[in-house]
Order: sequence, then C-alpha cells, then structure tokens
Amino acid sequence: MTDPAWLTSTHVAVVAGKGGVGSSTVAAAYALAAARDGADVLFVAVDGRPGMGTLLGGRPLDDTDRILQRITGAGQVRGRTIPVDQAFGDYLDLRGVGGLLRRAASAASLPMIAAATPGLQHLLVLGKIKELERERAADLIVVDAPPAGHAAPFLRSATGLSDVVQSGPIREQAEEVNAMLTDPARCRAMIVVLPEVTPVTEGLELAAEVGGELGIDLLPLVVNSCWPDRAGLDKSPAVAARSQSVKLSAASKRTLDSSAAFGRARLDQQRSQIARLRSALDADVITLPRLTITDLGRADLSELADALVDP
Amino acid sequence: MSQASTDEARSQGSLAAAVSGASLLVTCGPGGVGKTTTAAALGVAAARAGRRVVVVTVDPARRLAEALGLELDASADDPHHVTGVGETGKGELWALMLDAASTFDRLVREQASSPQQAEALLANPVYRAISGSLSGAQEYMAIERLHELHTSGEWDLVIVDTPPSRHAIDLLEAPDRLVGFLSHPVYRALTITQRTFAKVTNAAASMFLWAVRRLAGPQIVEDTMEFFRSLANIEPGLRRRASEVSTLLRSDEATFVVVSSPRAEAIGEAEHLVDALRAGRFPFGGVVINLIHPLPDELDDDALTDIGPGPLADHVAWHDDLRRLALAERAELAALVRLAGAAPVVELALRAVDVHDVDGLGDLADHLVGPSRRHG
Repeated sequence: MTDPAWLTSTHVAVVAGKGGVGSSTVAAAYALAAARDGADVLFVAVDGRPGMGTLLGGRPLDDTDRILQRITGAGQVRGRTIPVDQAFGDYLDLRGVGGLLRRAASAASLPMIAAATPGLQHLLVLGKIKELERERAADLIVVDAPPAGHAAPFLRSATGLSDVVQSGPIREQAEEVNAMLTDPARCRAMIVVLPEVTPVTEGLELAAEVGGELGIDLLPLVVNSCWPDRAGLDKSPAVAARSQSVKLSAASKRTLDSSAAFGRARLDQQRSQIARLRSALDADVITLPRLTITDLGRADLSELADALVDP
Repeated sequence: MSQASTDEARSQGSLAAAVSGASLLVTCGPGGVGKTTTAAALGVAAARAGRRVVVVTVDPARRLAEALGLELDASADDPHHVTGVGETGKGELWALMLDAASTFDRLVREQASSPQQAEALLANPVYRAISGSLSGAQEYMAIERLHELHTSGEWDLVIVDTPPSRHAIDLLEAPDRLVGFLSHPVYRALTITQRTFAKVTNAAASMFLWAVRRLAGPQIVEDTMEFFRSLANIEPGLRRRASEVSTLLRSDEATFVVVSSPRAEAIGEAEHLVDALRAGRFPFGGVVINLIHPLPDELDDDALTDIGPGPLADHVAWHDDLRRLALAERAELAALVRLAGAAPVVELALRAVDVHDVDGLGDLADHLVGPSRRHG
C-alpha cells in the first residue's frame, strides 16, 4: 500500500459535502487510514451524530474523547462530538466569566447570547477545534463538518462575524480561528461529491468557496460511490457473448440488455463527471468504490480506507 | 443521453388526493434525496389537475432552478410563471426561491405599528446579521412565506419545500420556538422601556448584557439592546402569526409529504420525521421514496457460470452488483413502508440522469399521482 503524503500533511482535516454524498463516511475512512499509517487520530463529529463511533470500532460518540480503535503496530482512532453548548461553556470558563454568568443568569441565557451574536455557535465549535489543535491533542484531527448547506457557513463563521463584532475576545477568537484555517500546515479541507451532474456542480461551487474565498487549502477531492468501470458494457450482451463463445438464452439476453442499458447511462455520466472534475480542479481527485449495500459495516469502512490511500 | 426506463418504479400509492385536495403541501426529509425536485413535480401535477399552484423552493440545485426559470442571482423571491407543463383549465404553475432575510423584512414591515418602528429595526446591525442566519430563521421563514401566500387568496395550492435538516422537527417547532424566545425572562427584562445599559436593573438581564459586552465589545451591547426593544414593538404581531401558522399547519387544509431515499441513514431520518408528524398531530399525506435502483431479473443460466474475463463477464458482474444493491434497498425501505400504514407510499426509480427540465418533472409527476394501487 502506498501511503500518500497528503494523509498526514496537516493537523486538522475538515471533510465536507452536500447532504447525501456520504461525507461522514469518507471522514471516518480518512481517520482509519491515517491511524493505519501510524497517526494518533481524533475524529470530531460537529453536528453530534453518534453513529460513526460504532463504525470506527468503539462506542457511539459523545462529548468525551474516547479511544475507538487501536491499530496493532500503528496508530489509533479516538472520537468525540463537540456540542455547541459545551463549546460555549468551555469558552466562557476560559474567559473567566462562566461561573459568574451561570450563577447570575442561569444556563438558559446562554443560547440567547449565542443567538444575539450570529455565527457564534459555529465559531465556538471551530474555536474548540483550534484549542485542540494548539494543544496538539492528536497527530491529526478529522472534522466531520455539518452536512447539507451548512458546511460553508460553518467555515465562514470566523470571517462573517467581524461585520458585527468589532472588538473584544470574540473578535480575537475569530482571528485566531481564521489564522488556523488559512495555514495549510495546520488545516486543510476535503470535499466529497458523487459522480453525478448536480453533486459535481455543487462540489465545484463548494471547492471555489472554501479554497478560493475562504483561503483554505484543499486536500484531494473525493468522488464517493463510483461503480467499477466495466468497459465490456459498451458492447451489447449478444456481441459480448459471441466474443466469449457463450450461447445466451433469450431470457438472459433480455435481462442483461436491461441492466446494461441502465449501467451504460450511469457509467457515461460517471466518466464524464470525473473528467469534468479533473479538468476544473488543480487538486487531485480520488475515486472511492460504490458498495452494493445500504448500510455500512466495519469491514466496508476498512475497504473504503484502503481505497482512499490506494485507489 | 436517454433516461432509463422508470418501469421499475413500483408505485404502491398515489399522491393525487394530496395534490388535488390540500391547499398547503409541505415536503420534508433528509438532504440529498430529491426533495426539491419532488416538490416541483407535485406542482406540475397540480397544474395539470387545473389548480393554480405556487412552489416555494429552498436552495434548489442550479439545473432545477434553471428549469423553473429561477435565476439564482436575480430577485427570485417573487413568484415566476412556469409555462408548458401540460396545465389544464385554470391550472398554472408558479415557482419562487425562498429568501429568508427579505421574508423577515416584510414580516417586520407588516407587524410594526409605524414605518419608523419598522425602519429602526430593519437598520439595526444585529437584526441585519440575524435575519438571514439565525439558526431556525430559514425554517421559520419558510413557514411564514407559506402563510403569506396562503392568505393572499391567489393560490389554490401552496407547496413548500423545506430546508434539509437532520433535526427535521425544527421546522414544525419554529413558531413555538419564536414564542418561547419572546417569553424568555432575559428578553422580557431587556424590553421593558429602559434608556441605557446602566438602568437595566434585572440581575439576569444586566448579567447577560455584561457578558455580551465582555465577550463581543461595547458596541454590540447597544445594538443588542436596541434590537430587543425594536423587536418588542412587533412582538404581539409575531405571537399572533406564530399561533395562526401553528393552527393552519394542523388543519385539514395542510398536508405533509415525507421524501426519502433507500439508504439506511435516510430511511432512519424519514422514520423519525413520520413519528414527529404524528406526535405533533400534523396531517400526514404520504411518503415518497426516491432514487431506488432498478431491480434486474435474476440470471438463471448455466452458460453464465464460470465464464472467463471478458466483456460478457463485465455484463454479468454489473448485473449482479446492481441486483444485490437493488435487493438491499428494497429490504431497507420496507420498514418505512410499514410505518406509513394507510398513507400512500410512492416508490420512484433512480434515473440514469437527474431530472433537470420541465419534461423530466412532468414524467415524475405522472409517477407521483399515477393510478393508485394500494400497497397490500
């Protein structure tokens, strides 16, 4: 197995994609691949989904940093979530105002403060990640970014806040987070897409926003769920059978004709969309195989981790 | 490239009743399952049934937006007429793209007791920053826009596509949450007429302001107080609106359609959503399971066992992969079909190419409201 240099090229790897492209799975596969490469990896689920803990070989994730899996002779994967209220509480304590505020105003006021300062929740989560990075809490922190339309606002929270907050510690926090995000030695981003027209369009938009506007260095882009490219499908089943001297029954021919029609259209789209990505991006493009299952298990994740470093 | 046959779609129900009977239709579900496309196709079906329908989309994919004539950078917040969808009688399809911030602005103008009050709030920097990005603002504004269009009397049917959400109940709770926010003691203390920071005597409220000042600087304290005071002026209107919307969404004029894909994770989220709709007594109109791989027949041919590598082996391997995945999907979605109970379930085949024009929406519409065969 070739261990690509990008795998542990930075301290924080943010993995992001639109809803439904499997970016959480890719983030988990990345964490596993880096641990196999010898790294002590911390997997952080930002939106607090617990399930990846089990997939990575441990208990469901919560806000405690726990070892999920040790790789014999190599590294390990730890995992945790960062809930917004905890990030906020930690931040207040760091600033020496947490205890006072809790006594005087009750914890119920905390969400109000966050609401009164837009983007603060995302910033506080990023701030917590920045603290972990500064302590070098792990060799690599893999961040499973919020899904759907929320990845860009999440990463943008540090720059966006400066319009509203012109001074004070939150401003400083925003500047420190920004310094981490824009330093490739400390933080890089991995964008995940599917080999289809709309996800590729949206992935390219996300890449332009994250890599361009926000100035975050891009890791290789991952095209998830690629069918094996079977060139034989370009021939009709009848021609293919003749070339292999096999006599097809009428029923087999009908069945293969129908599955091949669907297959050719999917493969055409997949080929043209991967080509489109390669020509539009400076970054490398990695393809991951489509698994013919609906729910991933540990063996499947292991397969994806292998494919990520040795496609 | 031609679209794959959709013959594989095994429609076990029809959304015809929802499309022709309801005056409000809300689509909800996890991200990446074709929710917006489904909402648009239901709009086409309604126009074909002779209804004047408007579809409110949230963050549509570029190609779909183009198909609907919505230009992403222009003012797409106003309804735009989509022609050539096979409309009949008085049927018309209109579409718009939700702009949460401008909907919030309109709500403020409408609920303020004077134009000066409205302008004071609209100009506040905290309001400007919050109106588009406050968590839950988009969900609340989707509902607000729905109410606005519904009460205008211009439409037979308003279809709202909701923001994708892992916590889909956000949308349903948005009106109640707004009222909860307005009832918060700190909010109350801050909105009693007081001139300056120094005069805020309520301990919790002054501590809140102290913390804001300490964390975010002195300027934002004044802006925050001003924001809360301005909001207080329109509070009665906001409360009334929240309760109207809450009632409307539970009335028999409304119906909710849950959209999912056959992936385990999406099915799990859709199940949560169906439970939440039932628990909240929202009218549940049915389920659409989208993006299902076509199931090829089983190959039963001795000639095909143990063939060496070559093009035919590619065909057989492809067939076997596709069949394995298609069977796994069918097993996965069975749980959601059971949970739907008596409500219609429409299963839609994955197309070789995603729907990106009006013809594609029309084809999808046929499948959504096609002849009803109840699932046994």
